[in-house]
Amino acid sequence: MAMEASNVKPPVSAIEEAHLDLYTIPSYSSWFQWGNIHEIERISLREFFDGSSITRTPRIYKEYRDFIICKYREEPSGRLTFTELRKSLVGDVSTLHKVFTFLEKWGIINFSGTVSAEPAEVQQRHKKEVRVEEGAPYGVRVVAAPNSLKPVAPLPPPVDVGGGGGGELAENGSKFPPLASYSDIYGELLQQQQQGKEGKELVLCGSCKQQCDSGHYEHTKDEFLLLCKKCFGNGDYGSKSAHDFKYVDDTNQVVWTEAETLLLLESVLKHGDDWELVAQNVKTKSKLDCISKLLQLPFGDLMLGSALRKTKVWDRNAGQAVPAHSVQDTVTGDDQQHEHKNQGQQNANVEDPGPPHKRLCTVPNLDASSSLMKQVGRLSSVVGPPVTACAADAAVAELCYENRCSREIFDDDNFGDELGYSARTDEEERVLPVENSEGEKGPTVSGASEHRGNGANISKECCTINFANASCNCNFSWCCSCSCKVIGCSGRERN
Amino acid sequence: MKPLSTWGSSRNPVKFRIPTSDNLLPIRLDIEIDGQRFRDAFTWNPSDPDSEVVVFAKRTVKDLKLPPAFITQIAQSIQSQLTEFRSYEGQDMYTGERVVPIKLDLRVNHTLIKDQFLWDLNNFESDPEEFARTFCKDMGIEDPEVGPAIAIAIREQLYEIAVQSVASAKESRMIKKGRKGFEHIPISKAGGIAVDLVKSFGNKSSVIRKRKEWDVFEPIVDLLSNEEVDALEATEERNAR
Repeated sequence: MAMEASNVKPPVSAIEEAHLDLYTIPSYSSWFQWGNIHEIERISLREFFDGSSITRTPRIYKEYRDFIICKYREEPSGRLTFTELRKSLVGDVSTLHKVFTFLEKWGIINFSGTVSAEPAEVQQRHKKEVRVEEGAPYGVRVVAAPNSLKPVAPLPPPVDVGGGGGGELAENGSKFPPLASYSDIYGELLQQQQQGKEGKELVLCGSCKQQCDSGHYEHTKDEFLLLCKKCFGNGDYGSKSAHDFKYVDDTNQVVWTEAETLLLLESVLKHGDDWELVAQNVKTKSKLDCISKLLQLPFGDLMLGSALRKTKVWDRNAGQAVPAHSVQDTVTGDDQQHEHKNQGQQNANVEDPGPPHKRLCTVPNLDASSSLMKQVGRLSSVVGPPVTACAADAAVAELCYENRCSREIFDDDNFGDELGYSARTDEEERVLPVENSEGEKGPTVSGASEHRGNGANISKECCTINFANASCNCNFSWCCSCSCKVIGCSGRERN
Repeated sequence: MKPLSTWGSSRNPVKFRIPTSDNLLPIRLDIEIDGQRFRDAFTWNPSDPDSEVVVFAKRTVKDLKLPPAFITQIAQSIQSQLTEFRSYEGQDMYTGERVVPIKLDLRVNHTLIKDQFLWDLNNFESDPEEFARTFCKDMGIEDPEVGPAIAIAIREQLYEIAVQSVASAKESRMIKKGRKGFEHIPISKAGGIAVDLVKSFGNKSSVIRKRKEWDVFEPIVDLLSNEEVDALEATEERNAR
């Protein structure tokens, strides 16, 4: 075992020493010495040094170690595997493996470029999608015993051992009940996985494995057996008959009643981000359903943010929400903006000095082509937090008119206190003009005829301060500027 | 980390257990009902409550859509293997200083494996599953069923040897009663003869194996074609009958 002149040196500048082979080991292993056993070795592999067994002595350890290193150095560009190594050494494989791992960890062996490739490849393997294979694994098989009268189910074709794709099974026409496939049992989980990935429900046809878009056929007895419309039309039923399938429309699969929505909102207010609890409260809907429904609601993601914070950051004088009875349509987004800006100015006067000369600020170009969040971000950077908070408040109020459930929630609470929006965004405000511009909105759910405003409610007093010419005939609930509760309000209409 | 005192020495017998870091029992099922034959192998944790056996049996039958008659059979088979294992528990195991050869000779789907290596019965930190993982990784085996099969094969042999060492411990106790200070190192009857430790590990010898013996201890992994698999299965069936 003579590997004489191989000095192990930490990485140094390449010195041409023809009679010495230089091997690279990491600098943290510079303690290693060929002729010695270092304390690190004694501690890490103490079973060799405590006299616990005749099979493990320091001499034996050194023999193992030296052999392993030499073996590695026969081929320093490759990676020495444990399996290749162990045939040459007499000893308990677990102990040998421990020595091997020790040396590899310290880079005394297998420290080269190819080593880094190896973990990456291994990592890639781990990241591979779970292969869905049809049928039970082969180690668990149900076969007909020989000499039995029953027909034998032909074995499924073998899985491609060369690392190919998932096993494909031909439909066999056996008389045995088909063994459950992985996707049968875990179909729901798989779908949920997909849901998690893509954020929407995926229904996969059991036959052609394509996504069923608008509707699918579900077997009445086996809820996991699904066929897309195409396969159903093709008569591709497998071993079932056409009558066993019923049509399920996917378009409006998740229906939320008002009660459920109300429950959802309450739960979110109470439990915040804890979707387990929320889903438990809204007993009829799953976690994912709850989250997606909340996002669909106009102020949904606002609630997501606020529910997290739960603290009242924005101090209001006396914020009280009272259902408004009428709302007026405003016409354009420009007005909206204008008002918002003025309101900001007002707010600045009332609550804090704020950035001066707001009126002089040009309104940032609201580029409709950029994303909503970008717009929101820009807007909120222009004005101070109290302004955006106020604006959002107003937006929510408007949305209350649209959705009775939310009104019921918001009405009951002290509006500003309860929800405690801290960093409001202008998103709702942005949302509304779009809705408004679509035309006048019809009556809300309650059936009362109410006008919808643009979210910027201003009391007469406030209005008179700022808009001398303003007049308004509607009844507003509260002023989003000074947050005083007023019965009448003005400032909405523009001549 | 287990304290070193658990490494049983030739003087202190150890309570019966599978001599691996996890005391998991290998279970093998081979049940035939009405012309249907169900085979499976897995590990079971004997400290699980026995109620789990029936739950497991039911789940298996449901997953594989087997006829319900299998439930009781499966549960009974598992239970009886468990009971047998438990009958050894509490008795002394006299592992002594023993390194035994473990042999692998198994076929999993298309993979045929033959291998031989040494296992220290006293090493209660040994891990068959880790060995199987390293094996499959080093040999580039893709079939995920091979690893567990290897681990279970190792466990079964260890189990058998552990059972024998219980019997040997009983014997040696009887012998000890007759002779004072006698140290009896049991030799296993099956599973190969224990390695002569003095010869292999003593100061006069090298633990490096002779080159000509290398291929005896090298694993052989063969990938079989479909026909070969069918042929082998037919042979196995015939042998089993």
